[in-house]
Amino acid sequence: METISVYLDNMFAGLPRNPELERLKRELLSGMEEKYLELKREGKSENEAIGIVISEFGNIEELTAELGIGPAGTKQAVPVLSEEEAYLYMAAKRSSGLWTGLGILLAACGVALFLVLDTIFENHSLFSDNGSGTMLGLIGMFTLFAAAVGMFIHSGMKLGRFKNLEQVFRLPYALKTTFQRGQFHYARTFRLALITGVCLCVLSPIFIFATIYVNDDLVPYGVSAFLVSAAAAVFLFIYYGNIQGAYTKLLKEPDLTPEKKEEERIAAAVNAVVWPLATALFLFTGFVYHRWDINWVIFPIAGVLTGMSNVFHIVKRKNVS
Amino acid sequence: MISSDVIRGYNDTMILYMLLDGESYGYEISKNIRQLTQEKYVMKETTLYSAFTRLEKNGYIESFYRDESFGKRRTYYRITPLGLAYYKEKCEEWKVTQQVVNQFIREW
Repeated sequence: METISVYLDNMFAGLPRNPELERLKRELLSGMEEKYLELKREGKSENEAIGIVISEFGNIEELTAELGIGPAGTKQAVPVLSEEEAYLYMAAKRSSGLWTGLGILLAACGVALFLVLDTIFENHSLFSDNGSGTMLGLIGMFTLFAAAVGMFIHSGMKLGRFKNLEQVFRLPYALKTTFQRGQFHYARTFRLALITGVCLCVLSPIFIFATIYVNDDLVPYGVSAFLVSAAAAVFLFIYYGNIQGAYTKLLKEPDLTPEKKEEERIAAAVNAVVWPLATALFLFTGFVYHRWDINWVIFPIAGVLTGMSNVFHIVKRKNVS
Repeated sequence: MISSDVIRGYNDTMILYMLLDGESYGYEISKNIRQLTQEKYVMKETTLYSAFTRLEKNGYIESFYRDESFGKRRTYYRITPLGLAYYKEKCEEWKVTQQVVNQFIREW
């Protein structure tokens, strides 16, 4: 009986959703189920009964023509995403978020490790020559960087095979409801993760202030703690954001306008430029000018900048329309 | 099995005929058509329901819900006076059609 319902879902997957079609679908389902049950009573096997019911279904275009939904040609050009593929995408997106987040955490730990080692060796002069601490720190940092890059590549490859989701696609109705329910339940977790992340972000400079207050020599430790806790926040954003993003992507309406696409592309480009630049500037001002006490404001500024660029495009679009 | 092309113009007539003696619902109508034709004609599901849609739009039939046992609710159909007039028209049309086509049928 499940097979019949799935068959109907697939038949209707490419059609718009409206009350008239929903009613027709219910009618068809109850008629087909009744036929199926009667065939079973007559002693037909499960497979035989389903085979007969489906062979006597007819042609969905006969219905759409009657309802004036036009030749389904353009509608059918939009590929329907299968259940398996949708779940695979969900899993890949989650795992990619995990690896990207871990990679960033690891990279931040690398910088923190370098700062800590460099400072320890300098302050306590464990070795006569000053360079060994820096050397050791650099080695540690680049080892962690290498691992992080490995993770980025791994996560990129995981998503690579889902390039086709960049195109327009349609989700079968039943699957759509399942994912809508999933997203609804996930919303709480996502909100919690976001709040935790924002708190971490806002509170992380406290480490720097605290060390400035106690002793200027401790500032590099404060910066390390700041970096790691900020990276932990970024991990939360990326991991939970990726899951949320997967839901959004799967549930988005298939008719995405070119302007909207352009907007997404610009936002991605802005993010790709602003954040690495901010990080580079942060590290440069820190290591060269030793202004760890104040240079962290680069990140909030970068955040505001990317936010403003998004708002600018939205306003521009509103004006055009 | 009859090709659906030949019979297309008379699907509506068959359904209206099935409603002449009282209201009925989708599956019952298709089952009765199958039995009446000794399984020589089986109306496809989409044919049946697009015919219901068309007939209802034209005012030839009306639909209503009726609660069945086991809490099941079915859509029933009944023929309207307009539908009856249309049916009679189709019967006349068929008689003429039959006569015309019969002129070209040679019995072997």
